[in-house]
Amino acid sequence: MAARWIETITGSFDDKKRWRAYKARVQQLPPSHRTAVEGIERYLMMTGPADGDYLLQMVDDLAELFERAAADGTLVREVVGDDPVEFVDTFKNNYGLAGWIGKEQRRLADAIQRAETEEKPR
Amino acid sequence: MGKLATEMLKGTLEGVVLAILAGRPAYGYEITAWLREQGFTDIVEGTIYALLVRIERHGLVDVEKVPSVKGPPRKVYSLNAEGQEYLSEFWTNWDFLAERIDHLHNQINQHKQGE
Repeated sequence: MAARWIETITGSFDDKKRWRAYKARVQQLPPSHRTAVEGIERYLMMTGPADGDYLLQMVDDLAELFERAAADGTLVREVVGDDPVEFVDTFKNNYGLAGWIGKEQRRLADAIQRAETEEKPR
Repeated sequence: MGKLATEMLKGTLEGVVLAILAGRPAYGYEITAWLREQGFTDIVEGTIYALLVRIERHGLVDVEKVPSVKGPPRKVYSLNAEGQEYLSEFWTNWDFLAERIDHLHNQINQHKQGE
């Protein structure tokens, strides 16, 4: 795939296409549901995986959830509940530990394991 | 349903949903509506959706996309063999936990009466 070298500079073309497709889906949502998705998307971008694949999978699923909700007439509050932060954190946790936070979580686990080996046996 | 009940339900919700799917295949909206009818009024669509995403990723369910008149296709979930196994493990754990907590509760009550 000779043409692909340029993607190491620009990022994956497929990912960009997928992102645009997701954005187009969100534009089709009723205003309330679009506002909710955009709010969640921002939070995911700030706190979620740095890994593009995970993020794309997450926003695709997110778009699907809200498309379905809009079609069923489910209100935004009935989708995210009283605590939107908790909802998004639960949602995010389903996609495994990716990105910087996953790395830091593994680093923490390593540190505790090291601490264990430094303890004298009782 | 209070905050404490919601917190307590969280750990068991996965088993509850698998148990529902053991009865018959269902999609997210149905599961949410049914749970709310059963008194789990704090359960929201997104929580169930996130849970379904997880059990799908863990290979506990099979998914069939069924076209819908309005909106994207509905994902209908059914329990597969692995899900069955996970569910029976859930019930074993549940029985153990329920029994131990009951036991603890009774002990405390007896202790109180003895005072």
